[in-house]
Amino acid sequence: MTSTGQDVLVRVRDLRFAFGPRAIFDGIDIDIPRGKVTAIMGPSGTGKTTLLRLIGGQWRPQAGSIEFDGVDVHRQPRRKLFELRKRMGMLFQNGALLTDLSVFENVAFPLREHSGLPESMIRDVVLMKLEAVGLRGAAALYPEQISGGMARRVALARAIALEPAMVMYDEPFTGQDPISMGVLMRLIRTLNEALGLTSVIVSHDVEEVLSISDYAYVVSGGKVLDHGTPQAIRSSASEFVQQFLLGKPDGPVRFQYKAERSYAADLLDGAAA
Amino acid sequence: MKALRIVTDFLRGIGEATFFLLAIVAALPAALLRPRLVVQQLYMIGVLSLIIIVISGSFIGMVLALQGYRTLADFGAVSSLGVVVAFGVVRELGPVVTALLFAGRAGSALAAEIGLMKATDQLSGMEMMAVDPIQRVVAPRFLAGFIAMPLLASIFSLMAIGVAGGHLIGVSLLGVDEGAYWSQIHEKLHPHDIVESLIKSLVFGAAVNWIALYQGYHAAPTSEGVSRATTSTVVVSSLVVLALDFVLTSFMFR
Repeated sequence: MTSTGQDVLVRVRDLRFAFGPRAIFDGIDIDIPRGKVTAIMGPSGTGKTTLLRLIGGQWRPQAGSIEFDGVDVHRQPRRKLFELRKRMGMLFQNGALLTDLSVFENVAFPLREHSGLPESMIRDVVLMKLEAVGLRGAAALYPEQISGGMARRVALARAIALEPAMVMYDEPFTGQDPISMGVLMRLIRTLNEALGLTSVIVSHDVEEVLSISDYAYVVSGGKVLDHGTPQAIRSSASEFVQQFLLGKPDGPVRFQYKAERSYAADLLDGAAA
Repeated sequence: MKALRIVTDFLRGIGEATFFLLAIVAALPAALLRPRLVVQQLYMIGVLSLIIIVISGSFIGMVLALQGYRTLADFGAVSSLGVVVAFGVVRELGPVVTALLFAGRAGSALAAEIGLMKATDQLSGMEMMAVDPIQRVVAPRFLAGFIAMPLLASIFSLMAIGVAGGHLIGVSLLGVDEGAYWSQIHEKLHPHDIVESLIKSLVFGAAVNWIALYQGYHAAPTSEGVSRATTSTVVVSSLVVLALDFVLTSFMFR
């Protein structure tokens, strides 16, 4: 593991989680170091988003534990879980902005719900957060009037509105043009430094995420296949990790989806009919 | 085996819906403390349903007057036209037709809105911001629907009996004496008829809102899921309203 004791903000131990008969995590251990940018990488469908929802306490694991700052997330009553969540920001893949509220009101939403600040102060905080993500000028627009990249930046401003200890990013680069991607990469890195955050990025955009991460995990088939610094991951001895990093179409992950019967048997059945 | 699964799925659905309703009821006091959210929803659910309620009420009143006049004329009792229209509307058609229209207009809109909020992670996003979506989104809508239904049913009844409905056909077109039209209503329609009508519309309002919000909140987060939730809301609400009407009428029947 990366670090121990006070240096670890999120500690995942022997986590097991399944959707019905399909096991997503089969006893994984992950440490998210405090103050760093940590990447969780893996192919689509390996449960990366599920991991974030488990860390946020939205779903409960069948076994194992997740500690956030020393507190077991899944052993908290609802009220205390909500208190913990105020210290976690989450950026959903599509932004998850409230479509009936303007950009300004979306960022103000958590402040109005939790801070008890006077309106003038809420206005200042919202404008500061929007300025930080470069969208102060879009404050009056509605979610349907902004691009996908802008929506993620608004969601990022909202995620940091309550000044959380950690921000979780769910596939932040998916479907972004190069400029939006560059903006998001810079924002994630600079906000992490400027606000003293801990960042967790779930992604399969290998180059982008490794270039801004301090530490990375590669997860697949319910297991952690490798972890280490970006350099260590790039030179991993694991065949799977190399296939994943280099995008090889065939390897430990087969090109052909596993079939019950042989190709010849399937074709002969068709001919007989 | 399949039948057993259908039964267990049905029972599980009933259980889930009951827990959902309990969660809404538990969140109502918090919703009452934020009247702005309830007023916003009263506009969306109530005010925007007004046109369909007013027009439907008027037409149903007109049809009742036409049909009633024909039958009453055979007995020389056309002066009782007002009370025939009023009984039909206040006791039955007002609450029932309003609830069916409410399910089609406001219920389907509620299910689609909540279902889409779920599909686009807005509800999950709220949870991750430590905001309870039941308290912030569901409870104000439930409360607004509960308040709006009896008001809409009353407006429906007034339109059906009044100037644009039964009165227009009976008094203005068919020549029923205006004094007889109103005085018979005044004499025969008792306050308990109106109270029972209000009780019906409150019960129907709660049922339609519960079904719509449950369907939306538990919709599969896909376009097909939202579409199913919307359809189920209208179908299930309509059947439940008709069944509840029978149960309530049996208890109120004198």
